[in-house]
Amino acid sequence: MIPEIEYLRPGNLQEALQMLSEYGETARPIAGGTDILPGFHINSRRFRDIKTLVDISNLPEITAIREANGGVYIGGAVTFTDIVKHPLIREKYPMLADAAAQIGSVQIRNRATLAGNFVNNAPCADSVPPLLVYDARVTVRSLRGERHQPLGEFLLKPYRTQLQPDEMVTEVFLPPLPAGFRGEFYKLGRRRGVAISRITLAVLVKMDQRVIEDIRIASGAVTPIGARFPELEAQARGKTAEADFLKELAIQLGEQILQRTGLRWSSAYKLPVVQQVFYQLLRRICQ
Amino acid sequence: MKEISIHFTVNGKKVSLNVPSRKRLLDVLREDLGLTGTKEGCDVGECGACTVVMNGRAVHSCLVLAAQADGAEILTVEGLAQNGELYPLQKNFLEYGAVQCGFCIPGMLMSSYALIQENPHPGEEEIKEAIAGNLCRCTGYKQIIQAVEATVKR
Amino acid sequence: MKKSKFNIVGKPVIRQDGLEKVTGQAKFADDINYPNQLYGVMVRVPVAHAKIRSIDYSAIENHPALTTICDANDIPGAKKVGPIKQDQPIFCYQKIVTPGDVVAMLVGESEEELLRLRELVNVEYEPLPVLTDPRKALEPDAPLIHPELGSNLVIHHPLRKGDVEKGFAESDYILEQTYTTPFIEHAYIEPEAVIAIPREGNKGVHIVGSIQNPYTTRKVVAAVLGWPLAKVRIQQAELGGSFGGKDDIMNILSARAAVAALKTGRPVKIRYRREESIQESYKRHAYYMHYKVGFTREGKIKAMKIDIIADGGAYSSMTPFVTWRTVVQATGPYEIENVWTDVRGVYTNNPYAGAMRGFGSPQPIFAQESIMDEIAVQLGMTPDEIRRINGFRSGSITATGQKLEKHDVNVLTVLETAVRETDFARRWRENQQQTKKRLDLAALEEAAANPGPFILHKEDFLEPEEVLRKGIGLAVSFRGTSLGAEGVDAVAAYLSLQQDGSAYLLSGLAENGQGMRTTYSIIAAEVLGLRPEDIYYLDLDTGYVGDSGPTVASRATLMGGGATKVAAETLRQRLEKVLRRHWNLPETTNFVFADRTVYPENQPDRKIAFAELCNLAYWEGVNLATIGWYSGPKVHWDESVGQGPAYFTYVYGCQVAEVTVNLSTGEVYVERVVAVHDPGTVINLLGAQGQVYGGVTQGAGYGLWEEISVDQGFIRELNFDQYLIPTSKDIGEIVPIFVEGEERYGAWGAKSLGEPTLELTAAAIANAVRNATGRRFHHLPLNLEEILLGRKLYPTSKRGSV
Repeated sequence: MIPEIEYLRPGNLQEALQMLSEYGETARPIAGGTDILPGFHINSRRFRDIKTLVDISNLPEITAIREANGGVYIGGAVTFTDIVKHPLIREKYPMLADAAAQIGSVQIRNRATLAGNFVNNAPCADSVPPLLVYDARVTVRSLRGERHQPLGEFLLKPYRTQLQPDEMVTEVFLPPLPAGFRGEFYKLGRRRGVAISRITLAVLVKMDQRVIEDIRIASGAVTPIGARFPELEAQARGKTAEADFLKELAIQLGEQILQRTGLRWSSAYKLPVVQQVFYQLLRRICQ
Repeated sequence: MKEISIHFTVNGKKVSLNVPSRKRLLDVLREDLGLTGTKEGCDVGECGACTVVMNGRAVHSCLVLAAQADGAEILTVEGLAQNGELYPLQKNFLEYGAVQCGFCIPGMLMSSYALIQENPHPGEEEIKEAIAGNLCRCTGYKQIIQAVEATVKR
Repeated sequence: MKKSKFNIVGKPVIRQDGLEKVTGQAKFADDINYPNQLYGVMVRVPVAHAKIRSIDYSAIENHPALTTICDANDIPGAKKVGPIKQDQPIFCYQKIVTPGDVVAMLVGESEEELLRLRELVNVEYEPLPVLTDPRKALEPDAPLIHPELGSNLVIHHPLRKGDVEKGFAESDYILEQTYTTPFIEHAYIEPEAVIAIPREGNKGVHIVGSIQNPYTTRKVVAAVLGWPLAKVRIQQAELGGSFGGKDDIMNILSARAAVAALKTGRPVKIRYRREESIQESYKRHAYYMHYKVGFTREGKIKAMKIDIIADGGAYSSMTPFVTWRTVVQATGPYEIENVWTDVRGVYTNNPYAGAMRGFGSPQPIFAQESIMDEIAVQLGMTPDEIRRINGFRSGSITATGQKLEKHDVNVLTVLETAVRETDFARRWRENQQQTKKRLDLAALEEAAANPGPFILHKEDFLEPEEVLRKGIGLAVSFRGTSLGAEGVDAVAAYLSLQQDGSAYLLSGLAENGQGMRTTYSIIAAEVLGLRPEDIYYLDLDTGYVGDSGPTVASRATLMGGGATKVAAETLRQRLEKVLRRHWNLPETTNFVFADRTVYPENQPDRKIAFAELCNLAYWEGVNLATIGWYSGPKVHWDESVGQGPAYFTYVYGCQVAEVTVNLSTGEVYVERVVAVHDPGTVINLLGAQGQVYGGVTQGAGYGLWEEISVDQGFIRELNFDQYLIPTSKDIGEIVPIFVEGEERYGAWGAKSLGEPTLELTAAAIANAVRNATGRRFHHLPLNLEEILLGRKLYPTSKRGSV
């Protein structure tokens, strides 16, 4: 059931920030509403205190995708459908387009936004692993000013980020990717259609013949929140991509996930399988 | 009760009304406008029975606040047939046996309609993707897919 | 197809109710509202087993949003109902026996206000030990769910044929195995909704709802009100799917709505949201099945011993009948000399289980067809060979001692058709020889050492070319048509021709989405030489035609089709008589009715329009309306030994599933299912194909994803984000093939199809997975964890807890 709420529709970003500032803790921006409305319906604790919704879905300042500084800026209220369709993202950041195309259903993607996905910060948020390996930075605005932060720092723990009640994510910046990287986004669900992720992986690699010159690795749904694996990446740089080493790397990934996540109800399945599919993925992209 | 005034176009007709701000688009269509063709099946955006086309895109009307539809163009299943003439998708749904109990059909039609508007010649996989968010328990989807395929071939 | 003798039968026909369904005009129950209508909202207690001490409404009693409260004290008649045993209260007043239970209903104008108020009702209760494992239900210290019954045993069906011990002694091999299947949600996309309208004066109550079996609902409502049946009028709204699921739950909701409507004098509507629907409605039974089979070196099965426990949950509902079908069919379509079967249905504090498409057959078919394949593997045969050796033929004797005769016993025909279509044996053998290295997590766990079972060793990894494996598997079944020895089996159909040649048709069975109206219209049109669109099918209302029993057991085409044909033939004879008189033709003249015209068989040029003939008859004062009646032949049953001709005829099916298994993740994708069925005569080809596509897809869901899991009686999967049914992307090709066997019964031998299509798929998939992986899986569904771990994993936190 949707509780009694006040609905506000600011005409521009400045007005939106004023409303957030004024209403504070009890206000929440709403864009696609694909997390908030189901959350209301099941009476989720996370949404019980909301009294005011500030609709940011149509603010012109945050609904565009633009090319600048060699990279791409994606507005905070850009939907996954917009991302899937955008030629520049498909060309330069294909793993993000891939991940976006596998989120929910068409109906969900038509409403759900990129920023909403990682601000909600569910462990299984599909956009997070690709954003992490693309070194995405978020722009956060409030009446107090603007700050920029790597996504990895912005995300704190499940369903928690550094976002303050008066703040809003206005943009995500994907910096230019050095030449020679290729990668793959992997998603495992229980079903093919409209699946909630059991495991996601995003891996970018730059090969020099058989040698891994550079690599970026991120996972989702197997760690408390989507995360990079810097130690693993450091360990892989300069190594030859032989099957034996890739297996080692996959085992390391398993160990690190176990360390970060501890044992969960799902560990007996997920932990071995993530190593397995990570190895498969490395075999595919380290050719 | 907090109310909000909204103005939008539904099936080509301009509509203005005041509704409680907690109402969803689904509730306004069914309760205030009597458009009961749009169905309520799960309330969480999983079954797709409430799918309508909003500004050219298929959306779950259970996940859109009515207030968010202000200024929008909404098409529901009741608006597909024009001047008593069925839209080709509707004809093919009949001809290919795509309908059994029919509860998912309005949503299926709207998802298929949005697909065809955007991509007049989708392949089988694109059709499956377009209706993956519409659950059907009767048909196994096969005759629905055939009906959409037949529509885009003509 | 056998078809030239028909004009319409067997061809694809557009459904009668299609137009309103594609335009959004069709009125489902929640689309209907009455002026001055109130809503009813349920009060539940978050406990699985407890004694109710008191219910305190004082916090809400005077709230303006509350018109009244209904609980057990408001029920004038039967406080408990049930199709076989009356053990289920309309409102609980002594005990709570499962979390779906309802103690009271709040009634008022605003559903939302009531939803808030219900949280304030204070129920004091004394928790009791919770019984969730049906295997423990019959132990001496098990908590009694219904103490007044003295036992948790709902029903025990024994079957004794021959001498199993002798059979095992004569066997060269014995296989023994345990299989389990979970509770399953019907997952009709339309949740339950009903409105009760009090009728003026002494006329009673009118109920409109998403009701599968209006006559059953009428019985329950009348009993609860303490009224004669005739004062309760049930009308079926357009039904948004049922699959056996809108029976008991709708009877109870209808009764609650009726009680409230009569108490307030206003229409009362109840409509469920998905969570409430899944929480309170009944499920397909979870089964625990132990099979022991003895067979010879040559592949002949000598004996089968079967012990099955069905989890009936909190109420008996249809458990006695569901398990009865199980006991009849548990040995499969195989002739076995010595059989000893025990099927027991038991009470637990789990959600209650009742009718669902298949009705006690999908579970044993999974077990029996799994073990048949194991026999084949053990003997170095292919699955089709072992079935060829043991399968029923004309004249075979079933486990219940029934001789199969007087119809085409097509087990082997459907098998051969499917095998040929898929090149089965060759592909099955090839797949058996694949290398099948698998990420075997169970083995890893067993061998667990530092650093623990979850970290792989290098030798555990699969190489890319080892990941995907193909498998092919088949399953066959026989299925008794209609109700069998369960109950009275008779159906009415009302047909009324109008002066202009149009017609009204209505049977006492219900359109649940399956296309029954269209099927009957085709049958009437075929007999009368009309087109199906000339027949106007009326809305089902218990006031109009006789009680025809429930629309279950895939009996609609067989029984209602039979009744429709009788009605159409009766009217045709009356018209023929009129025409003979009119044209002065001899009594021996035969007529042809086709293309809306009628002519003597030997004078094709002497035509009269059907409409003109009707007009003629009308002016002659001929009665152009009739009620056709079709009743099944008597069957009988000896309960003590499970022997007798259980059903008057049978249908046969074989499905072949082709799968790809990902050995590193446990994903199974169904590439193709070839479904060969003998439903007797096919009436509407489009509808028949639709039944196959839909049934196979539901069956694939049963095989791979679907499970209602229960934590201390509480269901974990309360909506479609957790209860996963197949989407459009989840199943590959489905190929329906019909083998139309000869049959005496029904309309031109048209029998059953709805349930056969579903019951085989999971078993065929499981056998295909065995073929792909080299491993046998004994527990449905074959989800990711089952394939890699051999067991299920369940979340420890509840939905919405974050």
